[in-house]
Amino acid sequence: MLLVSTAARGAEFMLGINDIVSQAFAASGIRMVLPMDGSADLQIASLKVQQREFHNVRVRCGEFTLSSVQIACRKGHLDLMPDAALDFSYAFDSKQLQLTLAAAGGESWQVAGKLGERAWQVTVRLRNAQGLRLASLFPADVPLPTKGTLNGTLRVSGNESGAEIVNVDMQLAEVAFSDASGLHAAEKLHGPVKLTVKRSGAVWNWQGNVAWQSGEMFWQPLYLRGGSGLSAFGSYDGKLFKVEQAVVDLPDVGRVQLTASWNVQKSTLLEGTLQGRGLALTSLFEVYAKPFLDKGSLAESALYGHADVDAQYRNGGLQSLRLNLHEAGISDTARRFALLGVNSDIDWQADAPRTAIIAFAGGALLGAPLGAGQWTVNMKGLEFDVPQASLPILDGKLDLRDFHLHREMFQAGKPCSGCSQAVQAGKPCSDCKQEWHWYFAGSLVPISMEQFSTAAGWPKMLGTLAGHIPRVSYDGREISVDGALLFNVFDGTVVATRLKLADAFGRAPKLSGNLAMRNLDLDLLTRTFAFGSMQGRLDGDVNNLELQDWLPVRFEARVYSSAGSYPRKISQRAVQNISSLGGAGAAAAIQRSYLGFFENFGYDRIGWSCVLRNDLCQMGGIEAADNGPYSIIRGGGIPAISVMGYNRAVSWGELITRLKRVTQDNVTPIVD
Amino acid sequence: MNIIKYLFAMIALVGALSAYATADLEVNTPGVNAIKSSMQARHAQLAGYYASGAVGLSMDGMIELRDPGSVPLAARQTVNALVAAENQDRDALYAEIANANGHPEWKAEIRSTFAQRWIQRAQRGWWVMSNNGWTQK
Repeated sequence: MLLVSTAARGAEFMLGINDIVSQAFAASGIRMVLPMDGSADLQIASLKVQQREFHNVRVRCGEFTLSSVQIACRKGHLDLMPDAALDFSYAFDSKQLQLTLAAAGGESWQVAGKLGERAWQVTVRLRNAQGLRLASLFPADVPLPTKGTLNGTLRVSGNESGAEIVNVDMQLAEVAFSDASGLHAAEKLHGPVKLTVKRSGAVWNWQGNVAWQSGEMFWQPLYLRGGSGLSAFGSYDGKLFKVEQAVVDLPDVGRVQLTASWNVQKSTLLEGTLQGRGLALTSLFEVYAKPFLDKGSLAESALYGHADVDAQYRNGGLQSLRLNLHEAGISDTARRFALLGVNSDIDWQADAPRTAIIAFAGGALLGAPLGAGQWTVNMKGLEFDVPQASLPILDGKLDLRDFHLHREMFQAGKPCSGCSQAVQAGKPCSDCKQEWHWYFAGSLVPISMEQFSTAAGWPKMLGTLAGHIPRVSYDGREISVDGALLFNVFDGTVVATRLKLADAFGRAPKLSGNLAMRNLDLDLLTRTFAFGSMQGRLDGDVNNLELQDWLPVRFEARVYSSAGSYPRKISQRAVQNISSLGGAGAAAAIQRSYLGFFENFGYDRIGWSCVLRNDLCQMGGIEAADNGPYSIIRGGGIPAISVMGYNRAVSWGELITRLKRVTQDNVTPIVD
Repeated sequence: MNIIKYLFAMIALVGALSAYATADLEVNTPGVNAIKSSMQARHAQLAGYYASGAVGLSMDGMIELRDPGSVPLAARQTVNALVAAENQDRDALYAEIANANGHPEWKAEIRSTFAQRWIQRAQRGWWVMSNNGWTQK
């Protein structure tokens, strides 16, 4: 240190001191004013500690002594901590440093050091130290302490080549931190933090324990509560940060053990392992997985049961995963789908074929109970095959064939060759992303519609649900059905073609396709929906059907009497209900006429059509005609009845309201 | 020649404006209705955050989490998710109205018109974005 004495100016001395520069510390523009009253005023224009820079730092000492033995400051104040009293002394011979900052509330920061040239050590003792004071030591773009106190000790010792040992033993109380955006923040953190770091050559070996006893933390998108603990050790050599072993106790989940090797410069995980026994899947999914999921079926699901996990990560990907499920299960919150009592020992390897047997005790589909089953899954890396599987539903079952699931690199709907190699080589492949694709075929072994509709809470339907499911596939964007999906219902058939479901697992699924209904038994149909009795057979076509969020947006629909010979009867109530769909008024007319004496009528043909556009249903009857009244039922036999429609256009919402009104049980016919 | 080009440009511009003037912002389709119902259901959850200033209305017809610090930590992700879901709905609403009018290309103009509407109709005390930054109505 070079002192440049200046001439006394009045009753004070002013000293200019040369800049001090070291690796971790730099001070420039140092000036000390020494008035004649024994006080001192030290000003440092620029002070750099580690990466942080402070300007115009000022220390005022009420009593200042400088001798050949020591330099001492009593009754001092530091501008950075204006409310704290500062005392410090440094003995030149013994190289002993003592510094104390004391503030209200019993707060104190005590620094004691022995700064020998060959060996040195510094101890910092904190008592009720305000964490907020540390904020200025950190860069502005990281979460900064805002509240809380620290109690404990920090010890650093070393030699001429630098620090050798760092010891931290600190108790946190009511600690809060937050970044500027508030998306990484914590409040009321309590718990001890212990850390020991020892240098061995160029390698730092560390060991730490953190017991997060209470408090809460939001680290977008995770919200975590205290009750967890971390105990870990590892090393750092300037390039690699290694976690040799970490044991994390997660509240309500269980204990997880980790190892990791992190390339600090590239910010990449080189390898790692994760193990856990008996982890509770409910909390694991709820707290640590769900916040990352977008709204959709999976995000609205819950997991149950326990799992043992043993995973290994290396070379940029998962190498093996052993997953042992114990009485696990999944169900969506609306209880539309559930699979419960799942037990399996899945031993997946990235580069070797494996087979897993997944057994389940039961579940539910749209309220209908599912029986027990067992599936054999063939795994080959990220390709999964289920040659044959059966899902028992009530008295029938859903048989799946040739289920295949795989992950592929895709770009705008097309496989992008070369991208996989690029990603493996660590090169960006911006437009390509990995997508899960799957397909399967199957069939429905007859399920009693009576049981199924009751379980699903639908109107009680008679007959059976059976059908053939051609290839159904998912290409990362939409689920599509190749060929025709055939169901046998109401003693007839319903064939769905060109079915596509876009955004299937998203917020607003869009379904499109065509439906062809043939030879439906009107008696079964009308009894199901309490529409009033009708006998006969009905065909129908719904073309260019488009549902958005499961509500119809557009279609061209037409229902009409099937060809052939069969009894054609319609009850008075059914006539009234059909009439009232066209609006009140026409429906009542029948009650007033002589036709009111008859319970049933004969008819020759039925026909009705609706073209839905912009929430408006443009209706028509048996004959295609654009204007004027149209015939919905053409009479035939004795007594016969014909029903005419007069309104061509009706709001879809209004039509559904009317339909609900007439199909509700205990509905009373409208009588003027 | 330039005069003819200029005239054509003027005709095209007037045509575009008059065509846009006919856009029906109140158009009803199942899609629009579904989005509106979803937004109405969410509004009850968002109203408190508009009033507290945690959430504000931006100039692009969307909403923003402007002061997350005022939201308790436990609710911060919920508000984040509400804001994200609301913005998805708003984006879908503008697209749906443009589609229902038969002019998907009008989406940007419809969004801009709605942005002004939302801000005009914002309740007293809510925070809205203007060219001068966030201001309280």
